[in-house]
Amino acid sequence: MKDFERALQTFHSLRVKQIMPSILNMPIADKNTPLIDIFKILRTRHHVWVVNNKKDMKPIGFIRYRNIIDFLLPPGSHMARFGKISDVFKSILGGAETAKDIMDKNFLTIDENATVLEALEKMKKYKVQILAITKDGRLVGEISLRLLVNELLRLMRVGGAEWSQSTHSSQSE
Amino acid sequence: MEPEYALLTIGVALILGKIGDHIIERFELPGVLGEIFIGMLLGNLIFFGILPNSALILHDETFEFLAKIGIIFLLFLGGLDTEVEMVKKTGVVATVSTIGGVFVPLILGYITGFYLLKFSSREAFTMGVLLTATSIGITVRVMMDLGVLRSEVGAASLSASIMDDFLGIALIIFAVGSGSVLELGEKIALFFFITGIIAWYAIDKYVKFAEWLRVEMGVLALSIGLMFIFSALAEKWFQAAIEGAFMSGLVLSKLPEGKRVMEEVRSIGYGLFIPLFFVYVGAQLDLRVFTHGDAIKLATIITLLAILGKVLGRGIFARLAGWDWRKSIQMGIGSIPRLEVALVAVMVAIHGGAIPKAHAQYFMAATLVFVTVTTLITPPLLKLAFKSEIEAMKKQKVEKRKIAIEESKQRISEVKK
Repeated sequence: MKDFERALQTFHSLRVKQIMPSILNMPIADKNTPLIDIFKILRTRHHVWVVNNKKDMKPIGFIRYRNIIDFLLPPGSHMARFGKISDVFKSILGGAETAKDIMDKNFLTIDENATVLEALEKMKKYKVQILAITKDGRLVGEISLRLLVNELLRLMRVGGAEWSQSTHSSQSE
Repeated sequence: MEPEYALLTIGVALILGKIGDHIIERFELPGVLGEIFIGMLLGNLIFFGILPNSALILHDETFEFLAKIGIIFLLFLGGLDTEVEMVKKTGVVATVSTIGGVFVPLILGYITGFYLLKFSSREAFTMGVLLTATSIGITVRVMMDLGVLRSEVGAASLSASIMDDFLGIALIIFAVGSGSVLELGEKIALFFFITGIIAWYAIDKYVKFAEWLRVEMGVLALSIGLMFIFSALAEKWFQAAIEGAFMSGLVLSKLPEGKRVMEEVRSIGYGLFIPLFFVYVGAQLDLRVFTHGDAIKLATIITLLAILGKVLGRGIFARLAGWDWRKSIQMGIGSIPRLEVALVAVMVAIHGGAIPKAHAQYFMAATLVFVTVTTLITPPLLKLAFKSEIEAMKKQKVEKRKIAIEESKQRISEVKK
């Protein structure tokens, strides 16, 4: 249990930039990417980042599994009401054709120097599972719960042996 | 007021309101109408003496207060849901036709009210304001069904409706605000300076502060707190709390963090207060008012103005901005429906004294008639207006299918060879 606590402490103080994947491994699409290509990415990934264009990499939105609900539902299932209109536009039957038509513009960002603890707190506060990491307005990485769990497991695997050794040696002393 | 009856009323209003909402939605009409009809039914059971007045406190201060909170949440959500970026991208035609679509019904309403119906200047102006804001919900739904939502007319209608709401809501200040024009102008300038400019630039820090607090639902609570403070300011200066609620939503909509609280605000709003407001609106209408010729006269005139004002206003201005007549009329018809903002405006105007008590029931009846009529007539009118586009689309689909069949036949024969 102590090993776990130690791993967790180290884990919390890690910087998100130490964990974030390479930008090349991230699911990123241009705003004009056809929806069919977005579907193909979503077969294996949980989300897609949408950028203005792949040159300047300015993030403008993201598409999650949750957004699929909006664009797959028939028009009758959308209740277009005052204060509830914006979701309706994302329906595929409403004419959505490209990534920009269905993306969620309200993605949350975090600084690359923020800690894992800060990222977790932000995720909890806004009930999101993924944050964009930006630098000077460019998308440079992402931090998701999946990545955090992987990192924690890696830390326990790698650090576990060292910590048990140090615990044994301090006991023998 | 017995607390158990207040609780009973809230419970009954919520359950029956949502059932009414469901029934109307089944007919592909805005469910809000169902909540209003349920309110009308419950209210009139009391007015007609079928239910004792003490059984449901629909005409009590407590219920009225809850309904007012509902209006505030509704407008706050309206502000939060506004896509400021979309408004910025609005084209010339949409902008020009919006101006026509707001000011033509306003002027028609004012002239008719003042000269024909002999209302006071303030009351006539209020009548015009009631006709300004479009409810885009039903138009969006019909255009979606017809497959024309992403057309030039569809896109322009959407962006125009956002500006429409904004102008309609802003104009309510002039209807209910008191004092000289100069005083009102000063207050408006100061109000928009505080809630618009200062808040727009300071909101980032405010949300950061809310995040920093180690409390449960801190961002949500501070967002709702801001909504109430802005509403209080607007209520004090213009007797129109809705202006503050809308502005606070608009300011928060700037940030993704602000937009993120929308789901929770919707849960509170649409799960509790907003249905209570619509039930309350319906409950205020005593159906016996229709035995008065004046009420029927007002309802007929206001309904005609609501239809003609928008079709002419938006249509003619869209034509002036360069569209052909067909598209201009489609744009005009898409803006006929009125609903939420009109109901909010009539309630605010009655409570703010812009409509005298003697005419309150007439205006309630007229507003409920014109929101219902404009909502019901829009779907068939839109289908008629887009008839040639729909037929062209059908033909295109048939042609595509024919080509696909021919190609398949060719491939099969090639494989056979």
